Amino acid sequence: MSEKALSRFEQPIKVPGRRLLHHIPLGFVRHKVVGGGRRASNHEIPLIPFIDFLLCIVLFLLASFSATGQIPVDKNVKLPKAENVMDMVDAPMVAITGTQILVDGNPAGSTRAIEEANRLQRVDELFNVLKNKRELWKQVNPGKPFPGVAILQVDRRVPALVVKSVFQTSAFAGYPNISFMVGRLGEPGG
Amino acid sequence: MAGIDTGGGGGHGGRRTSNHEIPLIPFIDFLLCLVMFLLVTAVWSQMARINADARVPGPPKPDQPVDVKKEKQLHVEMRGDRKFQLVWKEGSTVVNTIDVPRKKVKIGSAGDYTYPDLAKKVSSEWKQNGSHRAATDKKFDQAVLHTDNTTPFSDVIAVIDAIYTPQRDFSFGGKSEKVPAFNVTFSVN
Repeated sequence: MSEKALSRFEQPIKVPGRRLLHHIPLGFVRHKVVGGGRRASNHEIPLIPFIDFLLCIVLFLLASFSATGQIPVDKNVKLPKAENVMDMVDAPMVAITGTQILVDGNPAGSTRAIEEANRLQRVDELFNVLKNKRELWKQVNPGKPFPGVAILQVDRRVPALVVKSVFQTSAFAGYPNISFMVGRLGEPGG
Repeated sequence: MAGIDTGGGGGHGGRRTSNHEIPLIPFIDFLLCLVMFLLVTAVWSQMARINADARVPGPPKPDQPVDVKKEKQLHVEMRGDRKFQLVWKEGSTVVNTIDVPRKKVKIGSAGDYTYPDLAKKVSSEWKQNGSHRAATDKKFDQAVLHTDNTTPFSDVIAVIDAIYTPQRDFSFGGKSEKVPAFNVTFSVN
């Protein structure tokens, strides 16, 4: 009991305050423990939603990842576009770039002779390359029917005479199922 | 940082602490690398193909009947500048000839174009005269494209695209899908 007399407004029982570490007689400790009226300076960064977001992006990209359309196109070749198209297949790629004919990126003749003659003719070098490819396929896959599919990658300005000559040469070399590589109408690139 | 807290004292009594921190930062780094790799290797311009079969003459098959009924074929002439000519033939006999005005419709700024009038006419012609319509029919109606030697390839593709406009059902291996009604080939002359 204190020496001072209790007034009628003073209550002997008080609401208990904070007691944690109050026995340490240091002001800054008391200040820290009580809180000091300032906001906490430590913040938690919400990493879990960020990881969820990243995982969603990864899953979307993996789902839309397709290797079938990943075919190198020469930068000088501007392909035409079409609407009623099919997906690409794995087949020998015959490209006509300028006057050069390439099979899977390797030179296989020239279109100069066709343009000079101004008539449909067989490209012997292309014929031999495709024939060798066909024979190699048959050796690797004995007993299986040869699909005979080749894809022509032709610039949009190339005249029909050259296209028909390469088309016929490919067909006579054992590739009668010819497809023309095009861009999908309404999509960027191509 | 995420962690696993089992509420134990942690380190008292000679036991190992049972609270563990999951290292999220390396995991986020890994995910970011994966996203970057997939974005860089993504193919934004999908290529496609348009089919054109070549009919190469070969030796006669012994099991093939001698008198095969000649089917109707649609010959598409694109030799003039003003019109296309659709000719239905049975062998060398001309059954019907239709003229279609050659009207280009440009699409986009890259110089692409289509022939919608030709596509409509080919569709209506196939509905009237097409022989192979059933989904179970393995054969297709044949279209033969006749073109000038100087015609640019983009024009040839635009016409083939128009010929492929009519579509029919095709069931193969229990699955049914829409495929072009015509099979296109080039005429060499």
